[in-house]
Amino acid sequence: MTHETITRPEWSTVIDPVLQKELEQHVLVTSWDKLLGMVDTIYNWGRRSSLWPLGFGLACCAIEMICTASSRFDIARFGAEVFRGSPRQADLMIVSGTVTKTMMPIIARLYDQMPEPKYVIAMGACASGGGPFKEGYNVVSGVDKFLPVDVYIPGCPPTPQSLLNGLMVLQRKIDGEKIDIPLIGREGNTAWYRDDVEREIPVPVLGPDLIDLRTVELAAERTAMGLVEAREAGLDKPALIPAPTVEHAPPPETASARPARKLKHAVARPSLVWLGDERLAQLADDLNRTLGPGTAAIIQAGLLIPPQKLVPVAFYLRDKNPIRYDYLVTIQSVHYTDCIEVVYHLDSTGVPGSLIELRVRAAEAEGAGEVPSLYDVYRGADFQEREVFDMMGVRFEGHPNLKRILMWEGFAYHPLRKDYLEPYYEAPAKVFPSRVDDGLGHHFRAEELNPHGTNLKAPRNYQDWGKLSSLDDPKGRLLVPSGVQVEELATDQYVVSMGPQHPSTHGVFRLNLRVDGETIVGLQPVMGYMHRNHEKIGERNTFLMNFPFTDRLDYLTSMANNFGYALAVEQLLGDEARPPERAEYIRVIMAELTRIASHMWSIGFLLNDLGAFFTPALYAIEERELILDLFEWAAGSRMMCNYFRFGGVAFDLPPGWIERCRGIVNERIDRKIDELDRYLSGNEILLDRTKGVGILDREQAIQFSTSGPVLRASGVAYDIRRVAPYSIYDRFEFRIPTGTVGDVYDRYHVRLEEMRESVRILKQAVRDIPDGPILPRKKTYQIKVPAGEAYSRVENPKGELGYYVVADGSATAYRYHVRSPSFINLTALETMCLGHTIADVVGILGSLDIVLGEVDR
Amino acid sequence: MAAIGILIKIFIVANVLMGAVAYLIWVERKIAAYAQDRIGPNRAGSEFGIPFGLLQPLADGAKMLLKEGVLPAYVNKPLYLIAPVIAIIAALLGFAVVPFGPVGPNQVMDFQIAPYVDIGILWVFAVGSLAVYAVILAGWSSNNKYSFIGGLRSSAQLISYEIPLGLSILGMVLITGSLDLNAIIRWQNEHHVWGVFVSPLGFIIFLVSAFAETNRLPFDLPESEQELVGGFHTEYSGMKFGMFFLGEYVHVITVSALTVILFGGGWDLWGLLPYLNYKDVGWIAAIAKLSVFSVKVAAVILFMMWIRWTLPRFRYDQLMDLAWKSLIPLALLNLFATAVVLQIVRG
Ligand code: SF4
Repeated sequence: MTHETITRPEWSTVIDPVLQKELEQHVLVTSWDKLLGMVDTIYNWGRRSSLWPLGFGLACCAIEMICTASSRFDIARFGAEVFRGSPRQADLMIVSGTVTKTMMPIIARLYDQMPEPKYVIAMGACASGGGPFKEGYNVVSGVDKFLPVDVYIPGCPPTPQSLLNGLMVLQRKIDGEKIDIPLIGREGNTAWYRDDVEREIPVPVLGPDLIDLRTVELAAERTAMGLVEAREAGLDKPALIPAPTVEHAPPPETASARPARKLKHAVARPSLVWLGDERLAQLADDLNRTLGPGTAAIIQAGLLIPPQKLVPVAFYLRDKNPIRYDYLVTIQSVHYTDCIEVVYHLDSTGVPGSLIELRVRAAEAEGAGEVPSLYDVYRGADFQEREVFDMMGVRFEGHPNLKRILMWEGFAYHPLRKDYLEPYYEAPAKVFPSRVDDGLGHHFRAEELNPHGTNLKAPRNYQDWGKLSSLDDPKGRLLVPSGVQVEELATDQYVVSMGPQHPSTHGVFRLNLRVDGETIVGLQPVMGYMHRNHEKIGERNTFLMNFPFTDRLDYLTSMANNFGYALAVEQLLGDEARPPERAEYIRVIMAELTRIASHMWSIGFLLNDLGAFFTPALYAIEERELILDLFEWAAGSRMMCNYFRFGGVAFDLPPGWIERCRGIVNERIDRKIDELDRYLSGNEILLDRTKGVGILDREQAIQFSTSGPVLRASGVAYDIRRVAPYSIYDRFEFRIPTGTVGDVYDRYHVRLEEMRESVRILKQAVRDIPDGPILPRKKTYQIKVPAGEAYSRVENPKGELGYYVVADGSATAYRYHVRSPSFINLTALETMCLGHTIADVVGILGSLDIVLGEVDR
Repeated sequence: MAAIGILIKIFIVANVLMGAVAYLIWVERKIAAYAQDRIGPNRAGSEFGIPFGLLQPLADGAKMLLKEGVLPAYVNKPLYLIAPVIAIIAALLGFAVVPFGPVGPNQVMDFQIAPYVDIGILWVFAVGSLAVYAVILAGWSSNNKYSFIGGLRSSAQLISYEIPLGLSILGMVLITGSLDLNAIIRWQNEHHVWGVFVSPLGFIIFLVSAFAETNRLPFDLPESEQELVGGFHTEYSGMKFGMFFLGEYVHVITVSALTVILFGGGWDLWGLLPYLNYKDVGWIAAIAKLSVFSVKVAAVILFMMWIRWTLPRFRYDQLMDLAWKSLIPLALLNLFATAVVLQIVRG
């Protein structure tokens, strides 16, 4: 007690010490101090028992935060289940996930909006210090760079138990608090009601980089001195390779027959299932004949198309070619020494399995590249072209809305160009030198390497430091939604910004809505709030190191993400990485369990979005928990499994695992799916809310390049497991459920049916799984991947997940791109929402089932 | 003397009501937990040896009272401040004419703050609809789009649902021949038949409208957390927010009490227990009636909570359709049919 200094009120009389002692034994309140102490106790008790968290989740950790509220962990026991959507009513901010630069201004604003007393828990490695994504150019190295944090919870992600522990630690901290009462000169240890303590955080600004206004002068000074450039001059830079040419064609087949000789180049083929060499040659001939010579040349199993011919070629392929290429699978871009190559993968929904690859080359210099836009041929190109523009700086002629999509307008660089070095850049490949202590017992923190002492880099010639203002919001600047006639003078239309902190946007996603009354007349998705530079980091990781990062793409389906990545690299590795039988079965079992877990989650939260307050969601989460238990048992982690390896899986199944899995598959999940079906599918309100809402017809679904349940709900039976079978999916019997109308209900129902089909596959797999090895060779840590390109496709629960890997024969991927189903499915959102109401937007978004980790990567 | 008696009564009733509200919130959280296969609050109070998290409401209250009351710079200050006050006053005033026990000149005392009001029902509706001012003022003065949409939705909803609500009770009023709530209970008691049996359609319409009037799911559109964050109270913090909460729950109690009075026979129990006759006077009868009444009200409240944690929410336009296209015609039909039947029966 440090309160001897408190002056007693004048009216208090001096008491005989003996009497005092007696009093203390029998009377509760004997002194001023004690009275105030009791007030403290009651006050502290009130706060500790009623910590209402702000309902706001950033990334993967948020999933565990939600699980903490679920039946198994039940944060409600502590009176802390009242997640408030409005910061004004919240006491506790749980920063659950990666804090990106794009999101940081919002977080600071939310913090300022919370009333005192307020607390902050940094949940997970990312929120505490940047975590696995720390080196990313869009990642803040821990939320404590800006906010005062009360409790840090380690883990990636921390389990629900550790969040509960964090909460209890916070409660203990609150127990020790004493209030300030300036009136009587009592000094406590809290700062809330003191006038002299400024607790507001100046909202940082998105300028050329994220700028902290408290240190803006210093940043300006150091930038002008060119310290960053000076440091970079002394570092190894990533080497560029030339774009593939015809000469780089693979050695003839006979060479690869002899396993003793290492292939320098992988077999050239865009994907495991594709059109094939002969038919591709024929297609190239056709193109040259109809559209003039020089239209198409075959380079490494892809068609090289000159930019000016791209649009006619696309029209031809879509409308005239015998195989109608109506489906734009994905767009990627690679930075070579001589060009930036934009790669298009096309498939046909009529004749699936005829995937082809188009290569279009644009000038290499920053900002000089230009390619005609395919927006008018395939609407699905919309966001993907914007992504290429944002990341590589290639302009798409004719794109109606060519703005940055993941970073913000005003960001100074195009980050996926090979010549862009992140602020924390150290070396082209890991392991970074600062991480290796060479026996010196010392390694550096990334902050020590950057001249700004933080994840900051601005171009030397940047001048507008003085103009930076917290009120500016470059991410939120309204783009006029495409195809909508907006009458600026009409006063009954106004704009609502939903997100990035909003109860129903499933993460840090934002929708700028233009509404007329409550009717949507325009909608613009704004993303990038969780862009954590997966691809750039993936180019620094060695191949094996990248597995755990793929876990964190769509963090609800880590096993399935692993699967796709493994397939891509295995395609490059060729036969030597063919997984043994048992491993194939394990992979399929894991992928299908993941599908059930993910669909459970998605159906539960769709209902939540429709207003059934968490009840169905929590029942669905119970089933998911059972599956997570299986994952944890096999892989060691509930969510981030990191379980696949090239050519197999990391560990064999532990004894007893398969029996338990059989039990769950054969006896439990079916019943639970029926239960959901029984209680939900027929509910009047659910039908009213979902039937005929958010319709995406068959043509639109294909046009927008949607995939997965969204595409199938519109009646297109396009499932990668069928149309381009991978692993051993061709052995199992299962149906491809499709919808008829393409409304929210159909999407819900397709997911429900897909779970049934997954159970069917699982029943066959757990019956037939053989014994045997789980890897073709013994474990290796340094994998040599031959040079070449590969695009792998897997049917993830959210849709087609694709990995495009360009290897140059070194230890890391030269280019690594993820075709993210959630991201591309969002292209169709506006079309689905126009004419509906705000309430429907929430449901429609829920039915798309996006995960921000994957949207923003 | 009488004035002091009434003041004391008001004091007791208001406090009991507030306590009841606090514990209703606890009950609601527990019900939510059980509906979702969880445990619910059980820590608060265990420090002092009190089980089941029974002290949770006190903790919430203590926290809320001492929370910083943020007054955002961009709000319209007078209206912003007055809105929660209106909410709670309107809710409490409505309760003034609700008889929660026996009332009458021969009784030991009148279990009603304002006894002998001939137009009890009208008063409840009139004052109850004042609550819409709280919502719309809060929504408008907050200068926030979510609040604004919430406020607009709410005013439309409350005004729409008042019509079927009012119409639905007219059947009972015709049958019992009085607007006085006591007279309505007495009629049911005399005939040993509850309103729900003589006017079943009226009961259903009343219940549905009551859900909408009290902003409970599936009709909680003004707040609809999934769309509008917090709806009209998005910008309110601390006790100002708490007052909306309290007002809402008092409203729930009032409406549940009305349901019991109009359609659930008040304290009547079909003569199954002694002392439950309108002729019975004395303390024992009074307490028996009070208890039966409270239990019934509690049952209605529990039913409302149970619904809340089970059903999804309507969309706004569907809600309006329901009111204007289904409930109001039905309520009119009910009124007409009741009038015809009465005319025939009574000659
Ligand atoms: S990577 Fe994901 S799980 Fe790991 S700490 Fe960051 S947010 Fe949490």
